[in-house]
Amino acid sequence: MTEPILSVRDLSIAYRTGRKESVTAVSGIDLDLYEGQSLALVGESGCGKTTLGLGLLRLLPNLGEITSGSLTYRLKDGSTQDLLAMKKEQLRRFRWNEAAMVFQGAMNAFNPVIRIIDHFADTLRDHDCGDGKKWTKAAVEARAGELLETVRLDPDRVLQSYPHELSGGMKQRALIALAIALDPKVLVLDEPTTALDLLTQRSIVQQLHELRAKFGFTMVFITHDLGLAAELADRVATMYAGSIIETGSARDIFYTPKHPYTAGLINAVMPVKGDRPALESIPGFPPSLKAMPSGCAFHPRCEFATAACQGERVPLELLTERPQAMDHAVACLHHDRVRLDRKHNDSPKETSRV
Amino acid sequence: MTAPTAPPPQQRAAAAAPPGRTASGVMRRVWTSYAFRRILQSVFVIWLVSTITFLLMHFMPGDPIEIMAGRLNSAGMSHDQALATAANIVNYDPDASVWAQYLDFLKGLVTLDMGNSLTSPSKTVFDHVMEYLPWTLFAVGAGIVLATVIGLSIGMAAAYRRGSAFDHAMTSIGSFLTGVPNYILIAAVVVIGYTVLGILPFLDMRGRVTAGVEPGFDPVFFGDALYHAILPIIAFAFTATGSFLLNMKAATTEVLTEDYVTVARARGLKPGRISRSYVGRNAMLPVIPQVALQMGTLVGGSIVIEQILDYPGVGQMLMSAISDRDYPVVQAAVIILATSVVIASLIVDLVLVKIDPRIKTEGQDA
Repeated sequence: MTEPILSVRDLSIAYRTGRKESVTAVSGIDLDLYEGQSLALVGESGCGKTTLGLGLLRLLPNLGEITSGSLTYRLKDGSTQDLLAMKKEQLRRFRWNEAAMVFQGAMNAFNPVIRIIDHFADTLRDHDCGDGKKWTKAAVEARAGELLETVRLDPDRVLQSYPHELSGGMKQRALIALAIALDPKVLVLDEPTTALDLLTQRSIVQQLHELRAKFGFTMVFITHDLGLAAELADRVATMYAGSIIETGSARDIFYTPKHPYTAGLINAVMPVKGDRPALESIPGFPPSLKAMPSGCAFHPRCEFATAACQGERVPLELLTERPQAMDHAVACLHHDRVRLDRKHNDSPKETSRV
Repeated sequence: MTAPTAPPPQQRAAAAAPPGRTASGVMRRVWTSYAFRRILQSVFVIWLVSTITFLLMHFMPGDPIEIMAGRLNSAGMSHDQALATAANIVNYDPDASVWAQYLDFLKGLVTLDMGNSLTSPSKTVFDHVMEYLPWTLFAVGAGIVLATVIGLSIGMAAAYRRGSAFDHAMTSIGSFLTGVPNYILIAAVVVIGYTVLGILPFLDMRGRVTAGVEPGFDPVFFGDALYHAILPIIAFAFTATGSFLLNMKAATTEVLTEDYVTVARARGLKPGRISRSYVGRNAMLPVIPQVALQMGTLVGGSIVIEQILDYPGVGQMLMSAISDRDYPVVQAAVIILATSVVIASLIVDLVLVKIDPRIKTEGQDA
């Protein structure tokens, strides 16, 4: 078994809410990511997906802080490094070169007062990779043009444009092109298709498939769109209230979910084919970070909950052991009682978007 | 001030020939260009100010010719002779209709011939004003530059260190400078520095230059002029620094939360580049128009400052012209002051187009 490209151990992230107070947004995450894999982080708004994504690159806003754990990356040169031990300059060089991120709402990802080509120039020049090659204007133009063509944008039209002259879909593509400019090993995508219309979503997803096949980067994408997860991921991790509560191959998660919350999410998706059953929603609301339930955080909303669920925090339990961290693991005391309510007679790939 | 709306000629030109390399196409591009429209708007504002000034002067009680004639009369001239001499000195025909006078006035405005000063009839008004205006523009301009450099950099630094002791101290100073009028602050500087501590050679610093220093393009003259202008410059910089500082801090704080700054960090750009072309450039955008606004306020406020510091600029000139009932000078001074503010704001707007590409597109879409 090869070494994972990213190995997360016991990662916790807190946000300061006052002088001495803070809330824990992400707690005790353990995750191994292998080269070429595509992992989807799914969950409701506020479950800590984006915080975890930002944490993976140490990009948390000022009030956020990684309180414990380690983030070990295997770099391009083969060495392994703990991201949390990196100094400022080392971290700067690591970002975008080893791991890049495509952000939620590419609308505002570009500096409004400079041209698209300047974004490429700044990125290429500040990383001075390319074997000591000087990034002249012509060199930048050639490289940026090549990248834009891989995401099917017309370089002549886009390079000299200002961000406000591009549509949402074009900006998202341009951002993806920018993200792969330094050929990173890991790409974190935070809701890459939110705020785009269906056709544009479709073609972005197509693009990501192609790029992954071509460049072979490892992908972590954050979404609340199960359809997208089914389409792009080979592994899925469900998050609830700041913890991963179930993880497994896409097949495990969509056909035999073992956590009542994951099952609830899938039951809340309208199938495209067949009868239109009444959609089931999960009763109640996600807990506030300030008043987290004891034991399993999901127990107040869970139909299977017993007194035992309120006691200790429930750890992930391995159900099947498969190589390359494709094992199915769940944090539920009653996982053997969980079944999908209705039999999906179509594959999850054909379910509609949430 | 509303921008002039697109008039019929543009539509006709567009209908006659498609926009392109034709003569009318060029005309159309000039017409729709932002700079052209903005200049047209400035000319309109200057015209409006001039006309209002003309009307005010015209309908104000007290005929300048009567006043001059009265002065000459009491100096021993006969009444009719005094009237004739006075009418010769002013640049308009007192017997013509208001319209004729107005046209005459506009013609004078365009040719920079605004008559002669009543108090020193041998000098044209233009020459008279030009003797004072550069000194005020120099002091105000230097004050604005000083305030911009200090205000923007400290404001930005405070936003980067939000919540720190530095931030609290600078924000308090900024509020203090904005809140307290600059003439009170500079009076306090003079009183404390000169009267109480005795370290500020205020008496030597009054006026434009030290007696004996000849005007010319040499360091001695410039050094001396600067020495005499230091107090006015500081006075002008006070309020502007406070307001630039507070505005820049607010703007930077907001820009720092923008996605493109987070993305720039994620892209591993050098911190210097991020603060310059990602944070600084965007945070400056809302602050720059304030420079033009401050310019207007300061030139207007120069009347008080120059009086307090005994700096012979256009403010002092205006004060004495008003008390001498020197109408042509007052009229010209008001028009020139307004014009300089309009031009300052025009320059600021044209600069803004250079750094914010979005403005241009909006103008063309209109």
